[in-house]
Amino acid sequence: MGSTRKKLSIGLASILAVMLFLSACGNNGSSNNASPTGNAGNSEEPVELSWYTIGTPQKDVDKIMGEVSKYTKDKIGVTVKMTMIDWGDYNQKMQVLTASGADMDIMFTASWAFDYVQNARKGAFAPIDDLLKAQGKGITEVLDPAFLEGSKVDGKNYGVPANKELPAQEVWRFNKNLLDENKLSIADVRTLESLEPLLKTVKQNNPDVVPLQVDKNFMPYTPYDYLIEKFPLAVKLDDTGYKIVNIFETPEMKQALATMHKYYTAGYVPTEAATLESSSDVQATGKWFTDKATTQPFADNVWSTSYGYPIVSTPQSDALIYNLSVMGSMQAISANSKNKEKAMEFLNLLNTDPVLRNLVDSGIEGTHYKKTDANYMENLPESKNYDMPTFSLGNVMLTHLNPGDPADKWEQFKSYNDAGKPAILLGFNFDPTKVSNEIAAVQNAKEAFWAPLMTGTVDPEKYAPQAIKKLNDAGLGKILAEAQSQMDAWKTANNK
Amino acid sequence: MASLTKPRDFHKLSPVWNVIFNMIAGLFALACVFPFLFVTIISFTDEKTLARDGYSLFPKKWSIDAYDYIFKAGDQLLRSYGVTIFVTVVGTALSMVFISLFAYAISRRGFKYRNFFSFFAFFTMLFNGGLVPTYIVTTKLLGLQNSIWALILPLTVNAFYIMIMRTFFSTMIPDAIIESGKIDGAGEFGIFFRLVIPLALPGLATIALFSTLGYWNDWFNALLYIEDPNLVPLQSMLIRIENSMQFILQNSNNPSLGMGVLQSMPQDTSRMAMVVLATGPIVLAYPFFQRYFVQGLTVGAVKE
Amino acid sequence: MKTLGRFAKDLDRNKALLLMVLPATLWFIFFAYLPMLGTIISFKEYRVSGGFLSSIINSRWVGFDNFKFLFSTDDAFIITRNTLLYNIVFIFIGLVLAVAMAIVLSEIANKKLAKWYQTGMFMPYFLSWVIVGYFAYSFLSFDRGMVNKIALAFGIDPVQFYSEPKYWPFIIVIVFLWKSLGYNSVVYLAAIMGIDKSLYEAAMIDGANKWQQIRNITLPMLTPLMTILTLLAIGRIFYADFGLFYQVTRDSGTLYNVTNVIDTYVYRGLKTTGEIGMSTAAGLYQSFVGFVLVITSNYVVRKVNKDNALF
Repeated sequence: MGSTRKKLSIGLASILAVMLFLSACGNNGSSNNASPTGNAGNSEEPVELSWYTIGTPQKDVDKIMGEVSKYTKDKIGVTVKMTMIDWGDYNQKMQVLTASGADMDIMFTASWAFDYVQNARKGAFAPIDDLLKAQGKGITEVLDPAFLEGSKVDGKNYGVPANKELPAQEVWRFNKNLLDENKLSIADVRTLESLEPLLKTVKQNNPDVVPLQVDKNFMPYTPYDYLIEKFPLAVKLDDTGYKIVNIFETPEMKQALATMHKYYTAGYVPTEAATLESSSDVQATGKWFTDKATTQPFADNVWSTSYGYPIVSTPQSDALIYNLSVMGSMQAISANSKNKEKAMEFLNLLNTDPVLRNLVDSGIEGTHYKKTDANYMENLPESKNYDMPTFSLGNVMLTHLNPGDPADKWEQFKSYNDAGKPAILLGFNFDPTKVSNEIAAVQNAKEAFWAPLMTGTVDPEKYAPQAIKKLNDAGLGKILAEAQSQMDAWKTANNK
Repeated sequence: MASLTKPRDFHKLSPVWNVIFNMIAGLFALACVFPFLFVTIISFTDEKTLARDGYSLFPKKWSIDAYDYIFKAGDQLLRSYGVTIFVTVVGTALSMVFISLFAYAISRRGFKYRNFFSFFAFFTMLFNGGLVPTYIVTTKLLGLQNSIWALILPLTVNAFYIMIMRTFFSTMIPDAIIESGKIDGAGEFGIFFRLVIPLALPGLATIALFSTLGYWNDWFNALLYIEDPNLVPLQSMLIRIENSMQFILQNSNNPSLGMGVLQSMPQDTSRMAMVVLATGPIVLAYPFFQRYFVQGLTVGAVKE
Repeated sequence: MKTLGRFAKDLDRNKALLLMVLPATLWFIFFAYLPMLGTIISFKEYRVSGGFLSSIINSRWVGFDNFKFLFSTDDAFIITRNTLLYNIVFIFIGLVLAVAMAIVLSEIANKKLAKWYQTGMFMPYFLSWVIVGYFAYSFLSFDRGMVNKIALAFGIDPVQFYSEPKYWPFIIVIVFLWKSLGYNSVVYLAAIMGIDKSLYEAAMIDGANKWQQIRNITLPMLTPLMTILTLLAIGRIFYADFGLFYQVTRDSGTLYNVTNVIDTYVYRGLKTTGEIGMSTAAGLYQSFVGFVLVITSNYVVRKVNKDNALF
């Protein structure tokens, strides 16, 4: 009997030992495998970079990365393995991968996907300030300084922004057919209020058309810069005192909400705007007159082609550089990467070398696309196996022009960027760690009435005070105080 | 079939009640099938018509564009069918072995550690380590990243099924049968396979059905562990399309995303077509399953 | 020494059954118990530094801070109330209807028809909540919804369902039952199939009619299963089905009073900060409450009938 017991206890002990051993291996194994190649980076053995990016996985990715690797092996001694994660899965998958310390080198990040600021603070990305100086000189030369300035998190850079449109400008878009039909002019339109006569005419003459298309993501434009996207704390654009306010307590927002409610009651806005997920239905049918959008050079053309009917637009705000606009598309280097220098060398090449950039973007010349001119290209049928989101893969201004693009497209982008002025909070990123409990509570309080108020569905006279009270009960005051103290420190540090 | 219905014939419901029962079950079944019909119709609706009129049972214009969009992927779809079928068959078989053995043991009153193992299984229904630790164990410890086993093993055992199965065993298997087996000199495994399994077929069939559906519908493990497009199961393809549509729509006012991606986004109809393609086969196969299960049940009924 | 000897003897005597539990036990260790060690991050402010283990070790201890957001405002009451009440309704109505439907199905004379009904009832199980949400919208939408179109035809004013909280407790319960009833009744149907037919024959001879048979044979025979399934459901009473409360309601803010549950609250609350310590903490809290409740109810069940208890 004793021997049975002994066997059992030995068995148990060895199972435990094996488990511990395996878990230890599992955690170190990857680093052991990778480090020798990482150290020998500059010599004969090429380093494989693992690159995670957003987008629907494309069939020919491996094929093209094979070509990319041939090119980069000669130039900088690296090969590239790209993994594409579909749009809707990217946040969750990347969160699991980083939290588990997975082996990655380069990853896509932005304000709207795998949140750049949040994950930089969590330690997911390596700081790149030194790398930029050593291996990334090309990037700093190419980029408008505002890109790197605006994407600093607590004074450090963690990602390489893609060179693309820099300022953000809100416009009113109009369905041109309806403008012509009703002989309306948009010359005097700028504010929300100035839309009223046009909306009224359209409502009268075209009863089956939505005069002002609004969905649950809509926010009327007010001259404020938000601390966190869709969060009620903001600073007025011209406030040199940098005072943070609750947006619902500002006269501008109060007026905008009242106008929206007036429009809603008049039937200018869709009845279920507050729960409408998107405007894609009316965009497909063309049964809308105007809506709010963010523009960039040649946006009217892009919209017109994609909807199949003419669109014109007129500004409702100045073109300003916000934090969100510089963080629209970035590549970061993983904090766990063993090849940080090589990764930066690659990013440098990607953002400066047209051959590499176009290979990554459009695939292999002759297979996926053909050149029609020095700068122009045309997709070939094979491009259906390699259809990449251009904006997410680095410097867009190196890419070939598509048929129909104006020859001076990128020059226009550059002058648009040069004209943009920094918004007041550019470079300031609020750190919510100390108030994460309050943020959770305020988020829930806020979401309950945000869309109904913003879309004009409910009367702000009655609901805005309730909203303010609920926000304050949930701890908005504490967040505001914390944010203000961070802001004051930032202000002093940056001599604002 | 006959042997199942016959013993019941002589204590049938009264005809009136039979009609009422038929109506209750029939109406509810109709309410359940209806959306599926609806989804099928939407998948054959013209995209523009859908945007203009909303969902309708009698669309003004029909179209097969949605299926065109999906079949563009071509062999990807076929391969996904293959993955799903393989995972479902192998997974269910493994599941049945693991679950029935464990459940049977803890159903036995004579098993000394019965309560311990019951609790051991039950505890996992309530507490879990969360996503990241599970991911670490599966990928780093077990090395299942990008392996078809990552789609099979995480779903093999399920404490919920074990508890159901245990109840089936303890209510359907009289102790006398086990005792008689022991007297005949059969070992525990002999008793289990020759005497217990035939009697427990209704329960086993239920668990097998649940397990089949569980594997067929699973997409989350593929999201976590599978990056190789050759190993993506059907439901995962569907859910990816769904999630990505939602993500893009929610961020449609983001300038970079809105300009670049909205056009190439799959449409509402394609999503519905995907639902039809992903669930159609199992729905069509279900009656066959059922016949097989019913045979199993009948055998069980006759034996006893 | 003596007790150890007895232990070894017990092991030996139970070795066949122990061998039977071995495969699943190993599975539990790898896929359930090892990951469970990770719940430690609910007491940490998780920051990445190297691999997972070193990240855990290097992250700062925060005690119970990660749990605070669940209790800090009035919403704490609302989400707890909603989660609990919906689940209680789901458990009891779900149980009654599933058993009733199983009996109905088992008593229908035409077995072929019964099979078709059952197949039909299974269909909703295949539809994801996103699809169910779109489908519900095609019923409830203000200007295009079928309900309002019918209402208009009868001269009733259309209703804006997505901003009228008073309808939603019913809508949610109906949608839940619609989606789950088919699946749940299968278990009971199988249990009815497994009932010894001679019991019914004996009752027939005693002159019992169908209703008496159902009451005196079918229901008592189903009691163990009903008890177990209810106990298991109680264990998950603090968990809500995220899709049902988020997708089906179209995340409409006006409805939060009756649709905000723990799972949706946590999702919304952590969107900005993405603290995995806090989401793990929420899960731990949900599990812990369920655990306490289930242990208590199991204790009560044990007192009544030892065989029906979970352990």
